[in-house]
Amino acid sequence: MTRRPSIRARELTVLYDDACALCRAARGWLEPQPAFLPLRFIAAASARARRLYPALDPADTLKDITVVDDAGRVYRGPKAWVMCLWATRAHRERAITLAQPSLWPLAKRFVAWVSTHRDQLGGVGSVVLGAGR
Amino acid sequence: MDVLVTTYLLYLALSIALTVWVARTLYRNGIVFLVDVFSGNLPLANSVNHLLVVGFYLINLGFVCLSLKLGYEVTGPRGSIEALASKVGTVLLVLGSMHFFNLYVFSRIRGSKALGDALPPLDPDSCTRVAAPKPEDVDRELWADAEEFRSMP
Repeated sequence: MTRRPSIRARELTVLYDDACALCRAARGWLEPQPAFLPLRFIAAASARARRLYPALDPADTLKDITVVDDAGRVYRGPKAWVMCLWATRAHRERAITLAQPSLWPLAKRFVAWVSTHRDQLGGVGSVVLGAGR
Repeated sequence: MDVLVTTYLLYLALSIALTVWVARTLYRNGIVFLVDVFSGNLPLANSVNHLLVVGFYLINLGFVCLSLKLGYEVTGPRGSIEALASKVGTVLLVLGSMHFFNLYVFSRIRGSKALGDALPPLDPDSCTRVAAPKPEDVDRELWADAEEFRSMP
Protein backbone atom coordinates (compact mmCIF):
# COMPACT_ATOMS: atom_id res chain seq x y z
CA MET A 1 0.00 0.00 0.00
CA THR A 2 1.31 3.42 -0.93
CA ARG A 3 0.70 6.49 1.16
CA ARG A 4 -0.85 9.71 -0.04
CA PRO A 5 1.98 11.81 -1.46
CA SER A 6 3.53 14.23 0.97
CA ILE A 7 6.07 15.86 -1.33
CA ARG A 8 4.47 18.01 -3.99
CA ALA A 9 5.11 16.83 -7.54
CA ARG A 10 6.79 19.50 -9.66
CA GLU A 11 6.78 17.71 -12.98
CA LEU A 12 5.06 14.72 -14.57
CA THR A 13 6.69 12.45 -17.12
CA VAL A 14 4.27 10.65 -19.42
CA LEU A 15 5.46 7.36 -20.90
CA TYR A 16 3.17 6.78 -23.88
CA ASP A 17 3.08 4.26 -26.70
CA ASP A 18 4.58 6.09 -29.66
CA ALA A 19 3.42 3.38 -32.08
CA CYS A 20 -0.28 4.01 -31.33
CA ALA A 21 -2.11 6.73 -33.25
CA LEU A 22 -4.59 7.42 -30.42
CA CYS A 23 -1.76 7.90 -27.92
CA ARG A 24 0.04 10.31 -30.24
CA ALA A 25 -3.21 12.22 -30.79
CA ALA A 26 -3.72 12.39 -27.01
CA ARG A 27 -0.20 13.76 -26.63
CA GLY A 28 -0.91 16.34 -29.31
CA TRP A 29 -4.04 17.37 -27.43
CA LEU A 30 -2.39 17.56 -24.00
CA GLU A 31 0.93 19.13 -24.84
CA PRO A 32 -0.16 22.68 -25.75
CA GLN A 33 -2.60 23.01 -22.82
CA PRO A 34 -1.84 25.47 -20.04
CA ALA A 35 -0.86 23.35 -17.04
CA PHE A 36 -0.29 23.67 -13.30
CA LEU A 37 2.86 21.57 -13.63
CA PRO A 38 4.86 20.71 -16.74
CA LEU A 39 4.22 17.47 -18.60
CA ARG A 40 7.16 15.77 -20.29
CA PHE A 41 6.41 13.16 -22.93
CA ILE A 42 8.79 10.26 -23.51
CA ALA A 43 8.05 7.28 -25.76
CA ALA A 44 7.54 4.19 -23.59
CA ALA A 45 10.35 1.61 -23.74
CA SER A 46 12.60 4.07 -25.60
CA ALA A 47 16.28 4.23 -24.70
CA ARG A 48 15.68 7.47 -22.83
CA ALA A 49 12.79 6.02 -20.83
CA ARG A 50 14.88 2.97 -19.93
CA ARG A 51 17.77 5.17 -18.82
CA LEU A 52 15.59 7.43 -16.68
CA TYR A 53 13.52 4.68 -15.04
CA PRO A 54 15.72 1.57 -14.92
CA ALA A 55 13.39 -0.15 -12.45
CA LEU A 56 10.28 0.09 -14.63
CA ASP A 57 9.49 -2.88 -16.89
CA PRO A 58 9.36 -1.50 -20.48
CA ALA A 59 6.72 -4.09 -21.45
CA ASP A 60 4.41 -2.79 -18.70
CA THR A 61 4.82 0.81 -19.82
CA LEU A 62 3.97 -0.19 -23.39
CA LYS A 63 0.83 -1.97 -22.28
CA ASP A 64 -0.57 0.89 -20.18
CA ILE A 65 0.16 4.59 -20.29
CA THR A 66 2.37 5.39 -17.29
CA VAL A 67 2.90 8.69 -15.50
CA VAL A 68 5.89 9.17 -13.20
CA ASP A 69 6.35 12.32 -11.15
CA ASP A 70 9.73 13.81 -10.28
CA ALA A 71 9.73 11.96 -6.93
CA GLY A 72 9.31 8.59 -8.67
CA ARG A 73 5.65 7.96 -7.88
CA VAL A 74 4.16 5.79 -10.60
CA TYR A 75 0.57 6.01 -11.88
CA ARG A 76 -0.61 3.49 -14.45
CA GLY A 77 -3.52 3.22 -16.90
CA PRO A 78 -6.64 5.06 -15.71
CA LYS A 79 -4.74 6.71 -12.85
CA ALA A 80 -2.20 8.01 -15.36
CA TRP A 81 -5.02 9.55 -17.37
CA VAL A 82 -6.47 11.27 -14.34
CA MET A 83 -3.01 12.60 -13.46
CA CYS A 84 -2.61 14.04 -16.97
CA LEU A 85 -5.97 15.82 -16.66
CA TRP A 86 -5.07 16.91 -13.14
CA ALA A 87 -1.94 18.63 -14.45
CA THR A 88 -3.90 20.87 -16.82
CA ARG A 89 -5.55 24.09 -15.74
CA ALA A 90 -8.70 23.48 -17.72
CA HIS A 91 -9.38 19.92 -16.52
CA ARG A 92 -8.09 19.69 -12.96
CA GLU A 93 -11.59 20.00 -11.53
CA ARG A 94 -12.79 17.24 -13.85
CA ALA A 95 -9.92 14.99 -12.76
CA ILE A 96 -10.85 15.45 -9.10
CA THR A 97 -14.49 14.65 -9.93
CA LEU A 98 -13.52 11.51 -11.84
CA ALA A 99 -11.39 10.28 -8.95
CA GLN A 100 -14.30 10.43 -6.49
CA PRO A 101 -15.24 6.97 -5.18
CA SER A 102 -18.69 7.13 -6.80
CA LEU A 103 -17.35 7.77 -10.31
CA TRP A 104 -13.95 6.16 -10.17
CA PRO A 105 -14.97 2.54 -10.99
CA LEU A 106 -16.85 3.75 -14.08
CA ALA A 107 -14.00 6.01 -15.20
CA LYS A 108 -11.56 3.15 -14.70
CA ARG A 109 -13.61 0.77 -16.82
CA PHE A 110 -14.01 3.34 -19.57
CA VAL A 111 -10.28 4.05 -19.78
CA ALA A 112 -9.47 0.33 -19.67
CA TRP A 113 -11.91 -0.28 -22.53
CA VAL A 114 -10.46 2.55 -24.64
CA SER A 115 -6.96 1.29 -23.88
CA THR A 116 -7.65 -2.28 -25.05
CA HIS A 117 -9.40 -1.03 -28.22
CA ARG A 118 -6.91 1.73 -28.94
CA ASP A 119 -5.74 0.28 -32.25
CA GLN A 120 -9.29 0.26 -33.64
CA LEU A 121 -10.04 3.67 -32.10
CA GLY A 122 -6.93 5.32 -33.50
CA GLY A 123 -8.62 7.04 -36.44
CA VAL A 124 -11.69 8.20 -34.51
CA GLY A 125 -9.59 9.41 -31.59
CA SER A 126 -7.27 11.41 -33.81
CA VAL A 127 -10.24 13.19 -35.39
CA VAL A 128 -11.94 13.92 -32.04
CA LEU A 129 -8.78 15.07 -30.27
CA GLY A 130 -7.43 16.91 -33.27
CA ALA A 131 -10.66 18.85 -33.76
CA GLY A 132 -9.92 21.04 -30.72
CA ARG A 133 -6.72 22.42 -32.23
CA MET B 1 -33.07 77.94 -2.96
CA ASP B 2 -35.70 76.16 -5.03
CA VAL B 3 -36.96 72.67 -4.31
CA LEU B 4 -35.20 71.02 -7.27
CA VAL B 5 -31.73 72.21 -6.27
CA THR B 6 -32.33 71.12 -2.68
CA THR B 7 -33.38 67.69 -3.95
CA TYR B 8 -30.21 67.44 -6.06
CA LEU B 9 -27.99 68.42 -3.16
CA LEU B 10 -29.69 65.93 -0.84
CA TYR B 11 -29.38 63.24 -3.51
CA LEU B 12 -25.66 63.89 -3.96
CA ALA B 13 -25.00 63.92 -0.21
CA LEU B 14 -26.90 60.67 0.38
CA SER B 15 -25.46 58.82 -2.62
CA ILE B 16 -21.88 59.81 -1.90
CA ALA B 17 -22.22 58.87 1.75
CA LEU B 18 -23.63 55.46 0.77
CA THR B 19 -20.86 54.87 -1.77
CA VAL B 20 -18.19 55.73 0.78
CA TRP B 21 -19.78 53.42 3.33
CA VAL B 22 -19.94 50.44 0.95
CA ALA B 23 -16.43 51.05 -0.37
CA ARG B 24 -15.01 51.19 3.15
CA THR B 25 -16.80 47.96 4.05
CA LEU B 26 -15.33 46.30 0.97
CA TYR B 27 -11.90 47.68 1.73
CA ARG B 28 -11.88 46.52 5.33
CA ASN B 29 -13.26 43.02 4.73
CA GLY B 30 -11.79 42.30 1.30
CA ILE B 31 -8.24 42.45 2.62
CA VAL B 32 -8.74 39.18 4.56
CA PHE B 33 -9.62 37.33 1.30
CA LEU B 34 -6.79 38.89 -0.64
CA VAL B 35 -4.11 38.15 1.94
CA ASP B 36 -5.18 34.50 1.74
CA VAL B 37 -5.23 34.50 -2.07
CA PHE B 38 -1.76 36.00 -2.33
CA SER B 39 -0.35 33.58 0.27
CA GLY B 40 0.23 36.21 2.92
CA ASN B 41 1.88 38.73 0.60
CA LEU B 42 0.50 41.77 2.42
CA PRO B 43 1.88 44.56 0.19
CA LEU B 44 0.44 42.89 -2.93
CA ALA B 45 -2.90 42.25 -1.21
CA ASN B 46 -3.07 45.88 -0.05
CA SER B 47 -2.28 47.12 -3.51
CA VAL B 48 -4.92 44.96 -5.25
CA ASN B 49 -7.45 45.88 -2.57
CA HIS B 50 -6.78 49.57 -3.10
CA LEU B 51 -7.06 49.24 -6.90
CA LEU B 52 -10.37 47.40 -6.59
CA VAL B 53 -11.79 50.07 -4.29
CA VAL B 54 -10.67 52.87 -6.61
CA GLY B 55 -12.50 51.15 -9.49
CA PHE B 56 -15.54 50.78 -7.27
CA TYR B 57 -15.53 54.52 -6.44
CA LEU B 58 -15.08 55.54 -10.07
CA ILE B 59 -17.95 53.41 -11.36
CA ASN B 60 -20.36 54.33 -8.59
CA LEU B 61 -19.65 58.04 -8.50
CA GLY B 62 -19.85 58.09 -12.29
CA PHE B 63 -23.26 56.48 -12.11
CA VAL B 64 -24.41 58.86 -9.37
CA CYS B 65 -23.40 61.87 -11.48
CA LEU B 66 -24.98 60.56 -14.66
CA SER B 67 -28.33 59.83 -13.06
CA LEU B 68 -28.54 63.15 -11.24
CA LYS B 69 -30.84 64.93 -13.69
CA LEU B 70 -34.51 64.53 -12.83
CA GLY B 71 -36.11 65.70 -16.09
CA TYR B 72 -39.28 66.92 -14.47
CA GLU B 73 -40.24 69.75 -12.13
CA VAL B 74 -40.66 69.01 -8.41
CA THR B 75 -42.95 71.12 -6.31
CA GLY B 76 -43.21 70.92 -2.58
CA PRO B 77 -41.65 68.52 -0.10
CA ARG B 78 -43.76 65.54 -1.23
CA GLY B 79 -42.47 65.59 -4.79
CA SER B 80 -38.96 66.13 -3.52
CA ILE B 81 -39.04 63.10 -1.21
CA GLU B 82 -40.53 60.89 -3.93
CA ALA B 83 -37.91 61.91 -6.48
CA LEU B 84 -35.17 61.46 -3.89
CA ALA B 85 -36.42 57.99 -2.95
CA SER B 86 -36.50 56.70 -6.51
CA LYS B 87 -33.05 58.10 -7.30
CA VAL B 88 -31.42 56.85 -4.12
CA GLY B 89 -33.18 53.51 -4.56
CA THR B 90 -31.58 53.06 -7.97
CA VAL B 91 -28.19 54.00 -6.57
CA LEU B 92 -28.65 51.44 -3.77
CA LEU B 93 -29.49 48.68 -6.25
CA VAL B 94 -26.46 49.52 -8.38
CA LEU B 95 -24.26 49.59 -5.27
CA GLY B 96 -25.68 46.23 -4.21
CA SER B 97 -25.01 44.56 -7.53
CA MET B 98 -21.51 46.04 -7.69
CA HIS B 99 -20.89 44.75 -4.20
CA PHE B 100 -21.99 41.22 -5.09
CA PHE B 101 -19.93 41.36 -8.27
CA ASN B 102 -16.90 42.27 -6.15
CA LEU B 103 -17.59 39.35 -3.81
CA TYR B 104 -17.85 37.08 -6.85
CA VAL B 105 -14.46 38.30 -8.10
CA PHE B 106 -12.91 37.65 -4.68
CA SER B 107 -14.32 34.13 -4.48
CA ARG B 108 -13.25 33.35 -8.06
CA ILE B 109 -9.68 34.42 -7.31
CA ARG B 110 -9.75 32.35 -4.13
CA GLY B 111 -11.27 29.28 -5.82
CA SER B 112 -8.70 29.14 -8.60
CA LYS B 113 -5.91 29.38 -6.05
CA ALA B 114 -7.30 26.43 -4.05
CA LEU B 115 -7.41 24.36 -7.24
CA GLY B 116 -3.76 25.12 -7.97
CA ASP B 117 -2.81 23.94 -4.49
CA ALA B 118 -4.79 20.69 -4.68
CA LEU B 119 -2.96 17.42 -4.10
CA PRO B 120 -3.28 14.60 -6.64
CA PRO B 121 -6.72 12.99 -6.19
CA LEU B 122 -5.31 9.44 -6.34
CA ASP B 123 -2.59 7.44 -4.62
CA PRO B 124 0.24 6.23 -6.84
CA ASP B 125 0.40 2.55 -7.83
CA SER B 126 4.04 2.21 -6.85
CA CYS B 127 7.29 4.09 -6.55
CA THR B 128 10.31 3.78 -8.78
CA ARG B 129 13.89 4.93 -8.85
CA VAL B 130 14.52 7.96 -11.02
CA ALA B 131 17.99 7.93 -12.54
CA ALA B 132 19.81 11.22 -12.85
CA PRO B 133 19.44 12.38 -16.47
CA LYS B 134 22.43 11.63 -18.69
CA PRO B 135 24.16 14.61 -20.35
CA GLU B 136 22.69 13.66 -23.74
CA ASP B 137 19.16 13.80 -22.25
CA VAL B 138 19.82 17.24 -20.79
CA ASP B 139 21.27 18.30 -24.17
CA ARG B 140 18.21 17.02 -25.95
CA GLU B 141 15.85 18.94 -23.66
CA LEU B 142 17.87 22.12 -23.97
CA TRP B 143 17.90 21.60 -27.73
CA ALA B 144 14.12 21.13 -27.78
CA ASP B 145 13.67 24.28 -25.67
CA ALA B 146 15.92 26.22 -28.02
CA GLU B 147 13.98 24.94 -31.04
CA GLU B 148 10.72 26.02 -29.42
CA PHE B 149 12.21 29.44 -28.62
CA ARG B 150 13.40 29.86 -32.20
CA SER B 151 10.02 28.93 -33.64
CA MET B 152 8.24 31.55 -31.53
CA PRO B 153 6.95 34.50 -33.57
